Amino acid sequence: MQDVNVLVTFWSRTGRTEKLALAAALGAVQARANIRLRWLREDVDERLVGEVPGWSENRERMSGEYVAPREADLAWADAVIVGAPARAELAGPEFQAYFELLRGAHGKGQLHSRAGAAVISGAGANDCALPGVYEALARLDLILVPAHYGSEADALQAARAHGRRVTEVARALKAL
Amino acid sequence: MITIRRSEERGHFDHGWLNTYHTFSFAGYSDPAHMGFRALRVLNDDRVAAGRGFGAHAHRDMEILTYVLDGSLTHKDSMGEQHTFGVNTIQVMSAGTGVIHSEFNASASEPVRFLQIWIVPGVNDVEPSYQQIPFDAREKCGKLRLLASGKAADGVRAAAIHQDAAVYAGMLRPAETLTQAIAPGRYGWVQVARGSVAVNGEVLAEGDGAALSEEREVSLSGQGAGDAEFLFFDLS
Repeated sequence: MQDVNVLVTFWSRTGRTEKLALAAALGAVQARANIRLRWLREDVDERLVGEVPGWSENRERMSGEYVAPREADLAWADAVIVGAPARAELAGPEFQAYFELLRGAHGKGQLHSRAGAAVISGAGANDCALPGVYEALARLDLILVPAHYGSEADALQAARAHGRRVTEVARALKAL
Repeated sequence: MITIRRSEERGHFDHGWLNTYHTFSFAGYSDPAHMGFRALRVLNDDRVAAGRGFGAHAHRDMEILTYVLDGSLTHKDSMGEQHTFGVNTIQVMSAGTGVIHSEFNASASEPVRFLQIWIVPGVNDVEPSYQQIPFDAREKCGKLRLLASGKAADGVRAAAIHQDAAVYAGMLRPAETLTQAIAPGRYGWVQVARGSVAVNGEVLAEGDGAALSEEREVSLSGQGAGDAEFLFFDLS
């Protein structure tokens, strides 16, 4: 079986998107992928962090558990999954820094025939992030693997299923 | 036949927050001559600085045993398990179809030292599971305390693993001796966690390991001035 590497990069304040990203990563592992989990640490006013319940604690915990994505991760990845909240500000510095990293990898041809996907927490009628993430990934020539909406009742189950699906697509692309 | 794997021959990396010794090939240490012994694939002796640890990472189709020698660890995984445990406890995670977990030194001030062991399962794609079994320190003093086994054990609570193997912990005072039979066709591995132990007459120091092939028994004897602690693996 073809070895597949899946990079899951997420931004999470409260841990909700983190859970979804972990579920997608677990789905990839179930489909026999190697995975790396990376976290986008936000650069914001500390007073703002203190105003959101749980943000500071989660940020401290996540900064111990995850590292930020690096160039080497993108060179390694056969598939890139982005985890974001539905109301994420994609124009914000954390996502822009990641998209810049992706653009660098794209410029070196490292994203050619790679799969791109997203898992969005709190998605629904107010899902502002997904179209923006898809557009950003498409502009990088990544082959989009859309989420299979409505296939699973539970968001974590759906994310696991999506992780498996992304892995299978990445494996097929790698075999081309 | 006994084949000794000396402590200083192991792979060694000191990353500052992690000081680790690899008896068998692992991560950045690769030696085709030391890829494991029977189903025993990984045997790492890890020392992790206060408050530090291994972030979220994945495992699949592996029996992962953790045995703390000093300090305590906090474990969290995708099965929803979150526990802190210390010495005289065996923790086993059967990764099966896939697990993501993190493990950190539970202390903000003291280091933790533990042995992490990977055993290749006899069957793949099992439902992931988590077991954590504490025991009384006296159960390993002067005898072998079964930690994990592929078979149901009589009268002792041990972790179940998906492999025809048994893992024991033991402690010996100086000159104290114990003997365990090795069934025909089976193999043994002794790993010295601390102190010094003679294994069928061969003296092993802390960090040393010994593979036993075609031996009908293992005779263990405490050496030196202090207590010795070790693990014994009975392998198919």
